[in-house]
Amino acid sequence: MFNTLRFATYASLLTLGGFASSASAAELKVVASFSIIADFAKNVGGDRVEISTLVGPDGDAHVYEPRPADAAALEGADVVLVNGLQFEGFMSRLIEASGTKASVVEVTKGIEPLKSAEEEHEAVEKTEAGHDHEEAGHDHGHEGHHHGEFDPHAWQSIHNAEIYVKNIADAFCEADKAGCATYTANSEAYIARLGKLETEVKAAIEAIPADKRTVITSHDAFGYFEHEYGLRFIAPEGISTEAEASAADVAKLIDQVKHDKASAIFLENITNPRLIEQISTETGIRIGGTLYSDALSGREGPASNYIDMFRYNVNTMQAAILGS
Amino acid sequence: MRLSLTRNRLLAAVAASLVFIAPGAFADEDHETKEAWRLFVADHTNPVVRVIDFKDGKELGRYDVKGYASLTASASGQTVFAAQTEADVIHAIRTGINFSDHGEHRDLEVSEPALLPVTFEGKRPGHVVPHDDHVVLFYDRADKAEIVDEADILDGKVEKRIVDTIKPHHGVAVTMGRYVLVSAPNTEIETKPDELPPRIGLRVVDEKGEQVGEMARCTDLHGEATSARLVAFGCKEGVLVARPGGLDGPKLTMLPYPDDFPKTYTGTLLGGKAMQFFLGNYGDDKLVLIDADAEQPYKLIELPTRRVDFQLDPAEPRNAYILTEDGDLHVLDVVKGAIVNKAKVTQPYSKDGHWRDPRPRLAVADGQIAVTDPRHSLVRVVDADTLKETRTIAVEGQPFSIVAVGGSGASH
Repeated sequence: MFNTLRFATYASLLTLGGFASSASAAELKVVASFSIIADFAKNVGGDRVEISTLVGPDGDAHVYEPRPADAAALEGADVVLVNGLQFEGFMSRLIEASGTKASVVEVTKGIEPLKSAEEEHEAVEKTEAGHDHEEAGHDHGHEGHHHGEFDPHAWQSIHNAEIYVKNIADAFCEADKAGCATYTANSEAYIARLGKLETEVKAAIEAIPADKRTVITSHDAFGYFEHEYGLRFIAPEGISTEAEASAADVAKLIDQVKHDKASAIFLENITNPRLIEQISTETGIRIGGTLYSDALSGREGPASNYIDMFRYNVNTMQAAILGS
Repeated sequence: MRLSLTRNRLLAAVAASLVFIAPGAFADEDHETKEAWRLFVADHTNPVVRVIDFKDGKELGRYDVKGYASLTASASGQTVFAAQTEADVIHAIRTGINFSDHGEHRDLEVSEPALLPVTFEGKRPGHVVPHDDHVVLFYDRADKAEIVDEADILDGKVEKRIVDTIKPHHGVAVTMGRYVLVSAPNTEIETKPDELPPRIGLRVVDEKGEQVGEMARCTDLHGEATSARLVAFGCKEGVLVARPGGLDGPKLTMLPYPDDFPKTYTGTLLGGKAMQFFLGNYGDDKLVLIDADAEQPYKLIELPTRRVDFQLDPAEPRNAYILTEDGDLHVLDVVKGAIVNKAKVTQPYSKDGHWRDPRPRLAVADGQIAVTDPRHSLVRVVDADTLKETRTIAVEGQPFSIVAVGGSGASH
């Protein structure tokens, strides 16, 4: 059974923009675009950083709309950490509105990005059609929404998470040289814990029979998990939750699920459950639980930090598949 | 080999350079750009709308309509609507400013403005609410509102989707996805023939015109604005906020005013474009900044005297401009939640008298604030940074309602 040990919690994250006005030992004011990056930042920065998070627990960055309080947080920040890969569509206008002088750091720098599932889908179709430009007669089903070239959900690979952490440590070192030894030590300790986590994850997936490794989630958030650990994910919504799946998309998915014999279907903490409930009803596959895709849970929830999130997701999937 | 050593070597091999993104580096790439701004100015009393080139102040067009007009620009900027309340008609003017969005840049085509042949007739047109590619026209003395696509108007076609407003009232309707949010009149009280019943709430109707859920209470509903995915309505008890609810339809939430706020309310709302927030009047001499997602949504902004008009700056997302009756123009920083600058721009225009007496109105164009000055037959142009008047544009009669349309784009 997959290890579900929890690690000690850390100081609380501020989630509503702005920084605490009370006296603080913090050397750096940091704004993290969403809860997972905030968790990495807290593990690297410890007491030397005061973190404000724009998209908090259970929040959906794909559809987040920034507010003046967020601009105020950016204005007061020393370092702003963003995922990049077009995950935070709101960020450029928020940076402009804030007039911030902070360093804005893309923490995905150095990872090998995967193409977004829609990009791959379109490329395959163009090849099959035998021509470059025409899509006549093909029900593309993706009109009316935009997606980036790359899948932004890189944190779903622990290997990538280690790169995130290293980038954050480098950013903090740059902004606060006096604290660099602390940041470096903290990041190395945390990366060691991530290494152990990854070993456990691989073992857990290995324990799942090969013919049962297909599951359904709400949106294409787990491409890096699939690439790294070999579980196959299919989803009605694409890389972003912003565009609602069309009826044709859903029907196609239901056919695919029946054909590919998916083992389990999961809700996500950030998405509306109705679509997954519909697919569950039509395919007869029971909903196996909720996965944490693009955001941590609240502090009382089972995924309030990245390591717990990853363990909880793998545990939930393993239990649902083996129980199916 | 220990796993941790392998991991360290891997991380050491990762490029150490990080992407430091300087603010402003998200700016558009270089294209040959052109810029055009036009002012649309309606006279206070005479049935005329003028189009003025903002750069040189020249009149590009002058359209005789049926009654004095209140102007609203469409979301795209391609059309300006002239609602003539006393003449039971809405005219549409093609602005000649046409942007097309291509992701990392947009193109701009500029052509002659023109009064379009399409008109919308109905008893006492009031609020005109643009949204995306369409507009909702509300008729206070009919029992309907009309939803019309802008493309159809520009093509000279008139195809309307009718929304039943139950009973004539001074109301408003706004679309949210496939739903319509529409004011609800009090149907239980008797009103005199020349009076309209008060509004008591907001209804949600689907594309079949059927009400979804219960009416949400919003006493004396007045004022409506959209910001991001939210729509806000002003009520006596607070601000009613509608947000998309997916398959279940819009969700309506009342944000009551704080108990320690003065006993007045908002009736005019504006919605932020780059950021999600609302700015409303609060009584005559205050404003409220509203963050619908904050634990404490309201911030009260005191003004020294009563407000005459206020506008948001579409290009500087932090800025709002407020003209008060002492002739001062104030700059409100919505991030700080405070007035940060002010200067005298007109003579005093007292708020005593009727709400529609000829007083200045504001529009924002190209980093400048255009202020109609009906007493002096002028549009005053004020620099938004210095608040100094840089020039005036003579406009015959009493220039009153004003909208600005334009911007910059690539030309090919």
